[in-house]
Amino acid sequence: MTSHSPDRTQSTMLHINNLQKSFGELAVLNGVNLEVAQQEVLVIIGPSGSGKSTLLRCVNHLEPPTGGEIYLEGVLINDTTKSRRAFESHLNRIRCEVGMVFQQFNLFPHMTVLENIMEAPIQVLGVRREEARQAAISLLDRVGLADKMDNYPCMLSGGQQQRVAIARALAMKPKVMLFDEVTSALDPELVGDVLRVMEGLARDGMTMLVVTHEMGFAEKVGDRVIFMADGLVVEDAPPQEIFSAPKEARTRQFLAEVLK
Amino acid sequence: MFDWNIIIHYFPFFVTGALLTLKISILSLLFGLIFGLIAALCKLSINPLLRWPAVFYVWLIRSTPLLVQLFIIYFGLPQIGIDLGPFFSGVLGLALNVGAYNAETIRGGIISVPYGQTEAARSLGMNGALAMRRIILPQALRIIIPPLGNNFVILIKDTSLVSTITVVELTLTAQRLIGSTYKPFEMYVMAAVLYAVLTSSASLLLTWVEKRTRTEARRS
Ligand SMILES: Nc1ncnc2c1ncn2[C@@H]1O[C@H](COP(=O)(O)OP(=O)(O)O)[C@@H](O)[C@H]1O
Ligand SMILES: [Mg+2]
Repeated sequence: MTSHSPDRTQSTMLHINNLQKSFGELAVLNGVNLEVAQQEVLVIIGPSGSGKSTLLRCVNHLEPPTGGEIYLEGVLINDTTKSRRAFESHLNRIRCEVGMVFQQFNLFPHMTVLENIMEAPIQVLGVRREEARQAAISLLDRVGLADKMDNYPCMLSGGQQQRVAIARALAMKPKVMLFDEVTSALDPELVGDVLRVMEGLARDGMTMLVVTHEMGFAEKVGDRVIFMADGLVVEDAPPQEIFSAPKEARTRQFLAEVLK
Repeated sequence: MFDWNIIIHYFPFFVTGALLTLKISILSLLFGLIFGLIAALCKLSINPLLRWPAVFYVWLIRSTPLLVQLFIIYFGLPQIGIDLGPFFSGVLGLALNVGAYNAETIRGGIISVPYGQTEAARSLGMNGALAMRRIILPQALRIIIPPLGNNFVILIKDTSLVSTITVVELTLTAQRLIGSTYKPFEMYVMAAVLYAVLTSSASLLLTWVEKRTRTEARRS
């Protein structure tokens, strides 16, 4: 069951056209084409090394693509016609609109939970301190950690840290959220809390790109699943289809392995 | 035999000399920190116009003796019209010298902060300078402070070299008093004692700073 069905006539949030990325000789993305609608939850699966992280990291330009285009609501992200300076500030604006959550949380260890969340809104968006604080508290409430706001990250469990990381990204009021295997570093019993937060986000209409090995989550929350291999989108289908009747042999093989 | 009376008699001169040593140390420390931070950031820059001068500066300072550096600034520069006088020549020479060592210390601290921290900061829309100032440097500081303190203690001892360019700090004070008293043993021992007081006080202060930065910002 999908938790919500995006209106397919809605305008496109993300449009990726013939995206290529190489690290020197190593070609990691070999022409990815992808369209993500507003409020859509796209789940990305595929074997390790297939380029899933690189795809996400190209979207917020942590990795500069070597070819192709990425548009966020029609705005070209990797706009190489801009001067270096203009491109830098363009990128920073784009990154305010694209939230990212990492496998390793990457919370700022020298700041409390609350400061972690308030930092970018204050420093980047120029939000007033008190306002940022209120917003941070309500975000912590949303991820179920309001009682931890004065703790330092090292005092939290992995699952709690990851939920703070989600709150930190949400504090920028992004249009899209990127999740890169955000539960892979967690003890199994902590995975559920994080997935529930993500499910809630999806229900509230956030556009999400989710790289995960949690097939249960993909089936329940995903609107669409893409299977990647060797830097290409091999299969692109609704979760019910891809899990019950995968068309491609490679998808079948991969699913047989992970679901076994 | 060791003549205590002469030490007591000339003690005020030693205090004056030690205060000047302290003043030179603090000024050189301050500028040395600024030089070190700038050089470290330049060395880490991807821009070759920033990186190469910084690499050259650090290499040049670390591969030549401080004494020769001081001589170039004090005796050499006036020849091309830059006459800083003994005091500022001394401070500049020491600051440039300790700055090069600080640069390596600071650079080491910065690169020891996991790259994920930079990525997290940048993914939130922070520009490079903001991420450095708010996220990376505060974390690097914990690693930087102990070796930086070590550089500072070495700096205090190195100030004795500016006695060769006529700055009447602790060492030159002792030398001048020897000229009139012919008591080198007493005078140099007295100077040594005061250097030990200065460096030990600095060490104690640094230990305190270290403890504070550790408890103030708890880290994983
Ligand atoms: N910064 C990098 N430098 C060199 N090679 C990289 C870099 N990042 C990723 N790769 C390589 O790109 C390939 C795809 O990596 P990645 O996108 O992380 O795959 P996935 O997330 O699907 O496991 C891998 O072979 C990986 O070794
Ligand atoms: Mg990955």
